[in-house]
Amino acid sequence: MQLGFLVDLHLCMGCKGCEIACKVENEVPLSTWRLRVKYVDVGTFPETKRTFTPLRCNHCENAPCERICPVSALHYLDNGIVNIDKERCIGCAGCVMACPYGAIYIDPQTQTADKCTYCAHRIASSMMPACVVACPVQANIFGDLDDPTSNISKYIQVNQGNVQVRKPEKGTNPHHYYVGGGNVNLNPLASHRVDGHSLFGKITTLPIGGHH
Amino acid sequence: MAHEIVAATNAVVTLDVAIPGIVWPWLVTVNMWAKSIGTGVIFMLFMLLKTHPESAKHLRLPTAIVAFVFINIFLLFTLADLHQPLRMWHIFAYSHWTSAITVGAWMATVFLGLLALLALLGFKKNDEAYDKVLLWTTILAIPVTLYTAGLMAQCTARELWQMPTESAQMILAALLSGSAFMILMGGSKLSYEAKKSLGVVLGLSALMAFIIYMSEYIFGPMKAEEVAAVMEYIKGDGQYTVMFWLGQWVAYLLPMLFIVLSRTSQSESILKLAAILALVGLAIVKHVWLIIPQLLPMS
Repeated sequence: MQLGFLVDLHLCMGCKGCEIACKVENEVPLSTWRLRVKYVDVGTFPETKRTFTPLRCNHCENAPCERICPVSALHYLDNGIVNIDKERCIGCAGCVMACPYGAIYIDPQTQTADKCTYCAHRIASSMMPACVVACPVQANIFGDLDDPTSNISKYIQVNQGNVQVRKPEKGTNPHHYYVGGGNVNLNPLASHRVDGHSLFGKITTLPIGGHH
Repeated sequence: MAHEIVAATNAVVTLDVAIPGIVWPWLVTVNMWAKSIGTGVIFMLFMLLKTHPESAKHLRLPTAIVAFVFINIFLLFTLADLHQPLRMWHIFAYSHWTSAITVGAWMATVFLGLLALLALLGFKKNDEAYDKVLLWTTILAIPVTLYTAGLMAQCTARELWQMPTESAQMILAALLSGSAFMILMGGSKLSYEAKKSLGVVLGLSALMAFIIYMSEYIFGPMKAEEVAAVMEYIKGDGQYTVMFWLGQWVAYLLPMLFIVLSRTSQSESILKLAAILALVGLAIVKHVWLIIPQLLPMS
């Protein structure tokens, strides 16, 4: 079994329901996110549109975070999930530096690395990840990539040629796919970042884990 | 390239979380700087004992002590940078051997043990045993110097840090800082001829390091869009432009100039000035190169 995620960006309407569900389910502290939805506005008025892109850990098959972790706090589960053992983590932040998707953060409460685990604890109880349950338009499709009859495998087959991953050139082989994405959604360098356009108004950067 | 797409689509991120601040801060700069000195003085002592044995024989004990102190500084700042420093022992109890951090921690520990042994042998004036241990210590100093480059190369997110250039820069930093520290530490015990040799090492390593930085500065952006984006922080009115050029001048250009001047004027004072500048400048250069890739948004 190799679990994977697919987000149909045609369906996502940027409600952030997944973001909130994740926060609640995993008790993610303030100022940190396991999952968030990025808004990118494209075009010049009146020819404009807004794109919504949920971003989370890509659970890479060749995960740089797992490779760089000195104590195996980041490790693979048999189902393909890249999990984290917060009790073992020493907080070196090597994984934060290695992840090309900016998906790992230092938890300001535990002072250890943390990230999306595809809700591994829920999956162990045969439940779907919290973000999948919360999505009102079923834009989040989750399942076994090895099973050709799973929803995610069928979705990938139906949308062949329009399935993308973020930063494929990094060779990480993500288990997280997007349908209907473009460069502005998936490439952080393809859009401007203007000061003040964040969840925190004028706050552009946050101290990492509140430690240094 | 992404900048052309930006112009074509006029795409603007209108809502996202704040970018995390600097993940590896100045503590890591001190870590790298101290390690360069700790391993560099060992390289230089090994060289001097081969080329100027009479002059360098008095430096056995001081060099071992200096290397021991600076490797401890390096380890102390590594520890201080951890968010869970009391779990440092996990590295040894749950070693994950694909990580450069693990490999480096073990090598640095063994290196520290060898330095302690060198200090003991130096104190007892057992030169024969000291020189045998020094050979193995010098060999081990090479991977101890290089492992940080491996660690930076494992940071897949930071395209700027490539193993071939970073490993060369780590070795050059060790040669630069080791020779600079030896010039200052040598005092009256070290002959002027030996100091001139150290000056040559300092000057050439400064030249090579400067060439590599300029190569990356000019040609790096032509190959990778992330490198191009990172270089914007040290070009024009970039956030780190002043610090970058200050580092290049203080660490490399001025020391090269002063070494030439010291040779033409036979002046030890100018040589010492070059050494001080190289040590100060190296910290600045290392800091800039550490910070700039961390400014780039990953999402």
